[in-house]
Amino acid sequence: MKGNELFNLQELLSRQKLLICFSGPFSHSVIEELGKAVRNHLENEQIEKSAIMDVFSVYVEQAQNVRNYTASREALGRPIPANSGIVVIGKEDEHYVVSSGNLVEADDVPGLSAMLEKLRGLDKAGLKAAYKEQSRKPREAGASGAGLGLIDMARKATRPLEYSLRAVDERYFFFSLEVQL
Amino acid sequence: MDSLRIEATSCSPLIDFDPAAGLLRIEGESYPENSFDFYAPVFSWLEEYLKEPAPAVVLDIGLSYLNTSSIKCMIDVLEMLDLAHQKGQTVSVRWHYDSDNDRALDMAEEFAEDVSLPFEILAQ
Repeated sequence: MKGNELFNLQELLSRQKLLICFSGPFSHSVIEELGKAVRNHLENEQIEKSAIMDVFSVYVEQAQNVRNYTASREALGRPIPANSGIVVIGKEDEHYVVSSGNLVEADDVPGLSAMLEKLRGLDKAGLKAAYKEQSRKPREAGASGAGLGLIDMARKATRPLEYSLRAVDERYFFFSLEVQL
Repeated sequence: MDSLRIEATSCSPLIDFDPAAGLLRIEGESYPENSFDFYAPVFSWLEEYLKEPAPAVVLDIGLSYLNTSSIKCMIDVLEMLDLAHQKGQTVSVRWHYDSDNDRALDMAEEFAEDVSLPFEILAQ
């Protein structure tokens, strides 16, 4: 990357109080190592253990969602263009914000936005009920997750989940998700 | 029946199931690459074991972090034990949580809500 591009990118990122930013292929070892780095950093900040674990756990759910989605499309023989995933942890005022972005297939957009709109409309008790209902469902064959990740993030968040879905071309949308803790 | 032992890694817990003593320990952190693959041997061992368990079985859990797919696996493990309890077997759970982390207590209580077997929640 050219020097001035790198400068612009760094400047953009440093405007957020950035803890980490990763874009590239999400392997399990990348997820694990970045997670350790985040935890070490937060432990040095002397914040409460529960706050550290909230940031860590939302980060793990987002990163594993990106990875699992990418792997599932690959298994179907429809690999997602490489390196389209990104995860960012920053701080806005007193809140940590964990965000992720990745390409999703156009067919998945209606289901995804319906799920997020539903979660955005639920209060704490409603989110707990949705979580319990989902956790009792038998696991779908071949699914790599339990369908609990988004609900869990919504329960930990201090404001409704923010998201966007932007068309990239006829096949893909860019999905972004922002969780404020 | 053979014991089941899986050593801990940085993202998966120690599994140490002693069939004769009836002591089933799970300890560490749980966010493996694929939770369902990781816990598959645990499910099949338990299924076999609960046909003819020790007179008293204790599931001793010390998990400081679980991702959501591991939570789902733990719910399934608890359901298997709860079913054995409902059939009259002596089965209980001891759940150790990190007292520095109030989220950990909430999580333990949520697990306990869904089962009828004796469920002890202990600060560590």
